[in-house]
Amino acid sequence: MHIRYRCELIIERMAAPRACRILEDAGLTGYTVLPAISGFGGVTRWSRDTDMSASSDMVVVISIGAQAQIEAALTEIERLLSNHIGVLSVGEVRVLRPGRF
Amino acid sequence: MDIALSTLLSPIVLFFLLGLGAALLRSQMTIPEAFAKGLAIYLMMSIGMKGGVEISKGALGWDAGLVMISAVALSFLLPVIAFSFLRLTTQLDRVDAAATAAHYGSISIVTFVAAGQAVAAAGLEAAGYLVAVAALMEVPAIISALVIANRGHAHREAVAGSDKGELVREVLLNASVVVLLGALVIGWITGEAGMQSVAPFFVAPFQGVLCLFLLDMGLSAGRGLRNGWRQLDAGTIAFGFYMPLISAGLAAGVAALNGMPPGDAALLITLAASASYIAVPAAMRLALPKAKPSVYLTLSLGITFPFNLILGLPLYIWLARMVSPGAA
Repeated sequence: MHIRYRCELIIERMAAPRACRILEDAGLTGYTVLPAISGFGGVTRWSRDTDMSASSDMVVVISIGAQAQIEAALTEIERLLSNHIGVLSVGEVRVLRPGRF
Repeated sequence: MDIALSTLLSPIVLFFLLGLGAALLRSQMTIPEAFAKGLAIYLMMSIGMKGGVEISKGALGWDAGLVMISAVALSFLLPVIAFSFLRLTTQLDRVDAAATAAHYGSISIVTFVAAGQAVAAAGLEAAGYLVAVAALMEVPAIISALVIANRGHAHREAVAGSDKGELVREVLLNASVVVLLGALVIGWITGEAGMQSVAPFFVAPFQGVLCLFLLDMGLSAGRGLRNGWRQLDAGTIAFGFYMPLISAGLAAGVAALNGMPPGDAALLITLAASASYIAVPAAMRLALPKAKPSVYLTLSLGITFPFNLILGLPLYIWLARMVSPGAA
């Protein structure tokens, strides 16, 4: 098993394409976007079925890569999160096929 | 009074109230998300086609063109008025006030659909080109609001990861603009014969589908209100009630100047009085991401939409009758 870094970004759906562009520009070779169902943050409770425009929907963007690529993405993601609603976490993970990340 | 009562006791309003009440009482009832989106597309296709067929029956005159130009001008102007009131009467900052103002200059297509039903129930007729007016009024308010929000910030830094074309695509190619205008053109090309071929799907079930959709809208409005009302102060809540009336008054003036018949005038007034909760929120998340959706969505969906549906529509029909030259 090989050590890589997993970046997990919970972000509003409308900003997800921006986050994905940042990941691609940082050289990460892949990511997955998952829908989030409901949540609570600050003073706001949200759920997918509240907003017809789906503009308040949240998604989770997951990407795994080498430390250098993840760090390259983090600066821009921090800038993104200064405007958009979202939470970022990064953790160490073990992967089976290191050549893919 | 009769119009008010018949609107209030119509199946569409009662189903909306059912959804609203269920959500406020914390019922777990839901309409599946994809199904609700399908219903919205169905309704827009249906009214788009009907509008196109009506247009195909006779060439559009200068009077329709003038109404369209007036409606676009109104949509540019309303956010300026809304913004001024919000800044004077609420604690909202410039960005929140501008984003909220954009919603009140744009339109709610569901309110327009419900108004079409109320106008027909009142024995009035409306021209098909009003569907095109609805589509035209979606966008100008967004531009006005962005100009207002960015005043004094000519060199605002771009949001990380943003793409130059994304806002234009979202604003001009959002689902309601594409489906409404697309169905309008298809209805115009295929005419009455084309409509007859799809009538069993687009005409007969329309009222039932609208009831189902408004049940979902009631649930959305109730949940939005329950989750977001704490974000609104008294001035902001009051704005959700009086701004539609100001917009309706201005639209009534436009209708009178253009000599619009009462059915058409009622729809134009409703469009101006309605607040967007589909196209504009999405555009605002891209263009003004620091604006709080809990403010503008709760206001437009949780307060103004129910107000327009329950009390506004009869009032706007009455107003249309007052200002129209051929009114009975």
